[in-house]
Amino acid sequence: MKVLVAVKQVAALDEDFEIRADGKDVDPDFLVRDLNEWDDFSLEEAVKTKENAGTPVEVVVVCVGPEEADEALRKCLAKGADRAIRVWDEELAGADSIGIARVIAAVARREKPQLLLAGAQASDHAFAATGIAVAALLEWAHAAVVTMLEYTPGAGGALLRRELEGGLLHEMQIETPAVLTIQLGINTPRYASLRSIKQAAAKPIEVLTPADLEMPPSEVGAAGSLSRVRRMYVPEKGRAQMIGGSVEEQAARVAQLIRERTGGAA
Amino acid sequence: MSDSPAVTRVLFEGFAPVAIAAFYAVAAVAIAIFAFGVYREVRKYRRGTAAEVGGSLLTRFRWMVATVLSHRTIARRDRPAGGAHRLIFYGFLLLFLGTSTITLDYDIVGPLFHVHFWHGAFYLWFSLVLDVAGVALAGGLLYMMYRRGWLKLPKLDYTRPDRQPGDPDYDRSGYRREDWAFLWTLLAIAVTGYLLEAVRLVWLEARPDVWETRWWSPVGAVLAQGMRAVGMSAAVGGAWRLGLWWFHGVLALGFIALIPFTKVKHIFTAAGSLMLRDPLAAQRLPRVPEQQQRAGAQFITDFTWKQLLALDACTKCGRCHEACPARAVGAPLSPRDVILSLREFANRTLESSVLPAQAELDVHGKGPGQVALETLWSCRTCMACVEVCPVAIEHVPIIVQLRRKLVEEGKMEPQLTKTLQTLHKTGNSFGEGRRKRAAWTKSLPFTVKDARKEPVELLWFVGDYASFDPRNQKVTQGLAALLHEAGVDFGILYEGESNAGNDVRRVGEEGLYEVLATANIEALATASFKSIVTTDPHSYNTIRNEYPDFGGRYAIEHYTTLLLRLLQEGRLKIARQLGLRVTFHDPCHLGRFNKGYDAPREILRLIGCELIEMGRCRSNSFCCGAGGGRIWMADPPGLERPAHNRMREAAAISGLQVFVVSCPKDLTMFEDALKATGNESRFMVRELIELVREALGQEQPARVPDAAA
Amino acid sequence: MSGILVIAEQRRGELRPATLEMVSAAQAARRPGEPVALVLLADDPQRFVEAVSVPGVDEIVTVQLASRDFDPDALEAALGALIEARRPSLVLVPHSIDSFGYAAALAVKGGYGFATDVFRIAREGDALLATRGGYGQKVNVEVDFPAKEVVLLAVRASVFKPAEGRATPAVSAFAAPAARARLSGREYIEVAAGDDIDMSGAEFILSIGRGVGEQANVEQFRELADIVGAALGCSRPVADAGWLPKSRQIGQSGKTASACKLYVALGISGAIQHLAGMKHVATIVAVNADERASIFSVANYGVVADIFEFAAALRAQFRG
Repeated sequence: MKVLVAVKQVAALDEDFEIRADGKDVDPDFLVRDLNEWDDFSLEEAVKTKENAGTPVEVVVVCVGPEEADEALRKCLAKGADRAIRVWDEELAGADSIGIARVIAAVARREKPQLLLAGAQASDHAFAATGIAVAALLEWAHAAVVTMLEYTPGAGGALLRRELEGGLLHEMQIETPAVLTIQLGINTPRYASLRSIKQAAAKPIEVLTPADLEMPPSEVGAAGSLSRVRRMYVPEKGRAQMIGGSVEEQAARVAQLIRERTGGAA
Repeated sequence: MSDSPAVTRVLFEGFAPVAIAAFYAVAAVAIAIFAFGVYREVRKYRRGTAAEVGGSLLTRFRWMVATVLSHRTIARRDRPAGGAHRLIFYGFLLLFLGTSTITLDYDIVGPLFHVHFWHGAFYLWFSLVLDVAGVALAGGLLYMMYRRGWLKLPKLDYTRPDRQPGDPDYDRSGYRREDWAFLWTLLAIAVTGYLLEAVRLVWLEARPDVWETRWWSPVGAVLAQGMRAVGMSAAVGGAWRLGLWWFHGVLALGFIALIPFTKVKHIFTAAGSLMLRDPLAAQRLPRVPEQQQRAGAQFITDFTWKQLLALDACTKCGRCHEACPARAVGAPLSPRDVILSLREFANRTLESSVLPAQAELDVHGKGPGQVALETLWSCRTCMACVEVCPVAIEHVPIIVQLRRKLVEEGKMEPQLTKTLQTLHKTGNSFGEGRRKRAAWTKSLPFTVKDARKEPVELLWFVGDYASFDPRNQKVTQGLAALLHEAGVDFGILYEGESNAGNDVRRVGEEGLYEVLATANIEALATASFKSIVTTDPHSYNTIRNEYPDFGGRYAIEHYTTLLLRLLQEGRLKIARQLGLRVTFHDPCHLGRFNKGYDAPREILRLIGCELIEMGRCRSNSFCCGAGGGRIWMADPPGLERPAHNRMREAAAISGLQVFVVSCPKDLTMFEDALKATGNESRFMVRELIELVREALGQEQPARVPDAAA
Repeated sequence: MSGILVIAEQRRGELRPATLEMVSAAQAARRPGEPVALVLLADDPQRFVEAVSVPGVDEIVTVQLASRDFDPDALEAALGALIEARRPSLVLVPHSIDSFGYAAALAVKGGYGFATDVFRIAREGDALLATRGGYGQKVNVEVDFPAKEVVLLAVRASVFKPAEGRATPAVSAFAAPAARARLSGREYIEVAAGDDIDMSGAEFILSIGRGVGEQANVEQFRELADIVGAALGCSRPVADAGWLPKSRQIGQSGKTASACKLYVALGISGAIQHLAGMKHVATIVAVNADERASIFSVANYGVVADIFEFAAALRAQFRG
C-alpha cells in the first residue's frame, strides 16, 4: 500500500529584496527556501498512517523543483518517508500550480498510490489549487482542507473531517483512491533532528524529467498552465496611522478610540 | 616504660585452637562476601560502555589522595559536616591502619620472619593513638546523628520533586534506615571496642604489664575503673571479654563484608569517582562517536563504566539538591534524584548474573528508577551540581546525554522544536535574516571592520542576543564605542557569524551543534586575527572549551578581562567614580564554568562602586534560569522563575542601587524579573559595560526615579 | 460578449456575504452590455433568490443539488455543464475554504484560465488581467490567460463591497447532470459548540496572537478584554496550541467576525490567513513590538509597543 505526498519547497523573501531584470519574479539571491509549513503536516499524517497500519505502507514524497529542493526532500526522508522523487526540467520554471499538478499527476500514475496527500496551500504563493487540480487530472475523489483523517490501508474509503467556511467542520466518508489536501493543526509534526537528516542522506532521491514520466510537451511548464505571469511588482503599501509617544500615551489614545467606536459601552 | 616484648596484647589470649580457627573461618567468609560484592559491582560497571580518561593515572591518584586527605570538597558550604567527617574519616582510617598493623605483625611478619614489632613503646603509643582515633570516630558519628536527627537540614530531606506520593519509588524510608544503620553500626563497633578494651583490663588486672600501662588506653582505663568500682571481678571481666570479643569481631567483620552492598562502599567509589573526574565535565560535553547509531543514552548500559561508578559514589549529601535552581523554584528536577534513580535502576538491572533483555533497560519514563522527560527538560545546565559535588559526580553530561535521545525522538516542547528549526534555517534563534546580524552597527558613528575582509587584531564574536535583542544591542553598541575609543583594532564577522551553539548542544541537538560550530569555525578560518573577545559567556564557554574538539583552537577571552586590561593600562580613562552601591551576579558560563569571578569585581572597584555580595555568589551564583535551552521554552504556570528568586535575594540588600550583570541573557531575564517582582522603583539592572561607560563620562547616568516624587 | 457567471456560496440555509461581493467584482470586470448571471447551487436554491436580487445581477440561475452536503463532485459536474452550455468569458467564485475544494478541479476539467485569491480584475483590450499576491503577500503579481475563452477566478473576500439594493432579475432553472457520489457526509460540526461565545456576533473584538508567548499569559488578556468590553479572539497559532478554544479563532477558517466594528489585535503579525477574517472591519487597531509586521499595512491605527506593557497601560485607562 502506498501513500504519495506532494511537497513544495517554498521561498520567503529576505529583507531588501529586488525584482529580477525581466520583472516577472524576485532575484533568487533574496529567496530563503524551506519546506512548506502545510507539508510538514501532510507528511506527518502520511507517516502516522504508515505507523498505525497493521500492514506495510510505503510513504513516497514527490517534489517539483531544482536541486536545492533536495534539502526539503531529505528532511521528509528523515521524518519517516521511505522514498523521494524530484522532478525537474528548465521548462517547469514557467509552470503555474496547474502545470505543477500535471507533473504530480504523472508521478501518481507511475506510482499508483491509494492516497495522495498535499498541503491545503503553500505559504509563498497560496494558490490553494495544486492538490485539487491533481485530483481532477487523475479523476479521483477529493477533499480539501482536511483536519482529521482515519484511514486503514486496504479499506475502500477513509473517514475524515474537513473545514468549510464560517468555522464549520464537515465529517464525511470518502472513497479511495483519493486526493486530500491537509490543513494546519491536523497533527503535531515530528521533529527531524539533524543527525537523522544526515543519516537520511543514505536514502536515495530519484531525479526524473517530464520526459521520463512520458509527459507530452504540450503539458509541460507554461504550456500546461492555466495562467501566465505578466509582471511582478512591489505594491504601494497601505499604512496604518501610527500612534506614537509613551506606552501610557498610546494606551490613552486607543482607549479614546474604543470609547468612540463602541459608543461608550465600556 | 620498657620496650619489653611482654608489653603487648596477646592475640587470641585464652582461646582454644578451635576458637581461633573459627575466627579465621568467619574472617575468610567475610572476606569472601566482600570479594563477591566487589566482583558484582565491577561486573555492573563493566556492563557500561567504554570511557576515556585523560591524563596520567598517577597524577590523578595523587590529586585524589590530596583532596581526600584535606577534605576540601566535603567542607565546602558545610564546614560542620566537613569537620565531623574528618573526625570519622581519620578515626576510621587510623583504626583500620591499626588493625592492619596487628595483622601484619601477627599473620605476616611474625610467621614469615619470626620477628614481632608490636610491643613495648611502639605498642603503647599505638594504643594511645587508636584510643584517640576511636574518640574522634565516635565524636564524628554522634555529631552526624545529631545533624540528621535533630537539625533536620532541608538538604537531608529526601523528599523528591520528581515523583508523587503513591509512586512506587517515592518512599525513601529505606535510605533513611540505611543511613541510621550505618551510623549505629559504626558507633557500636567503636563503643564495643572500648568496652572490650576495658573488660580486658579488668580481666588482666593482676598482670602488671597490662594494668600498669592501662592509661595508654585512657578510655578503656576509665571504663575499667568504673567497672571495678561497681565490683566486677577479673573472672567476670574475662567472661565479658569473651562475649564482647566475639560480638565486636563479628560486627566488625560483618561490617567489612557488607561494604560493597551498602552505603559504606562510598569509601571506594567516591575515591574512584574523584580520581577519574573530568575537570571540564560540564564545560566540554562529549561528542557522539561517528559510528554510534543512536545519539544519547536510552538504556542504562549506554552510560560509561565511569558514570556507573560515579552513580555509586553518591552519599546523598544533598549539596547538589540544595544548589539546583530548578529544584529551588519547585521544578520536578533534583540532580541528586536523577543520580539516585539511575543508581537504583542500575542496581536492579545490572547486578544480576544475567543481563535482562534490552527493553527492560530503558531509563526513560516514570517507572521506578526511570527519569521523566519533565525532569530532564527542567535542567538549566548551570553546573551548580557538578561544581559542588564532593565526590565529583558529573550530573550535567548525564542529563545532556539523556536529552540527546529525547531530541532524536522529538520529545520536546513545541516552542523548543520551532527554535531549533529556526536556528537551523537562519543561524540565530530570533528568526531574523542573516544579513540583519550586524544591523546594530549601522547607527554607530564609525565603521566596524569586517574581519572576513581585512585582518584585525581582535575578533569580536558578538553572539545572538547581543546582536538581535534591542535592549542588548544598546550594550553592544556601547562596547563598540569603548573599543573604538581605546584604539583597539577589532572587527566582527558580520553575516558570517552564527549562533555559537552552546545552548543547542546542551539541549541535546548534537547534529545542529556540529552544523553551527563547523560553520563558525569555517567563518573564523577566513578571518585573520590574533585573539577573540566575546560579550556572551555562553559563546565564550563553547568556543574556548568545545570548539577545539572540532578543529577550532583560539585564544579567547570574555570582555571583562579585556575591559579590565584597558582600564588598567589607561587606554580607557575613568572620568568619575560612580559611588554606587551594587551587587554583581556571576553569570554561570563565565563564573562557575570558567572561573571568571575576579575581573568584573575589579572593574567595579576601579569605577568606584561599593560591591555588596549576595549570599549565593561566585561559584555558588544562582542561575537566571535561561540556560540549557530554557530560554526557548515556556515556563510552567504557577512555578516561581529562578530570576525572580534571585531578584528577591538582591532586594534584601539594603540600599542597593544597581544589580550588575555581564551576560546578555542575564540582562534580559533580570530586567523582566525586576518588573515582575515589583522592584523597579528600588534598584536597576545594568550591564557592566554601561556602568563603565558612565564612569568614562560617555553615557548619561540613569537612575531609578525617586519613589518619593 | 459571452457574459459573466457569479457563483453564489451558501451553507445550511445561509447565504455567504462573499456572494454579493462577487457581484460587485463582476461589475468591475464586465464589458459594456455584458450580462451577469448569478448561479445558486443548493438543495433548496429558491430560498436565496430574494437575497441575491440586487442591482448588477441580470439573471439568476437556480441549480437543484441532490443533497445538502458539500460535494465537490456535484458542484464540478453542475458548473461544468452550465459553463459548457453558456460559454461565459468569466466565472467568479469567492476564494474561500469552500472553493478550495472544487475550483481548481473545475478549471482543470474545463481547461479554463485560472487564478485564485485575486483582488483586482482588469481588461486590457481583449485580455483579462488578474492581480494576486506573491511571496506571502509581499509582492503583487499580475497574470493573464492567453488563448483562454473562459476564465475562472477565485476572488479574495472583503475587497469588493457587497452589492446592495433591490432588483428583479429573471430567474431560470438549470438541470444539473447527476454525479456519482464518491463521498457521503455524516454530519456538520459547529466549532462554536463547547464554548458559549459566538464571535460572529461580536461588535468589538480584542484578539491575541503568538506574541503573547505562552499559555500562562493568556489570562491577563482575557481580563483586559473583559475590562474594555470586548470579546476575546485569537489567531490560528493560539488556537492550534490550545491556549484558547477553536471557537475564538478569527481568520480564514475561523468565524468571520462579520458584525465586528472595532478590532484590536495584540501580538498578531498579520499573516494572510488571519487578515482574511477581519479585513472588512471598520476600525482595526494593531499593537505589535515589530514595526515591520505586515498587520500594520492593513490596520487603520498602529501602535509599536511591547504588548504586555501596552495591555497594562490600557487596563489603567479603564480603571477608575
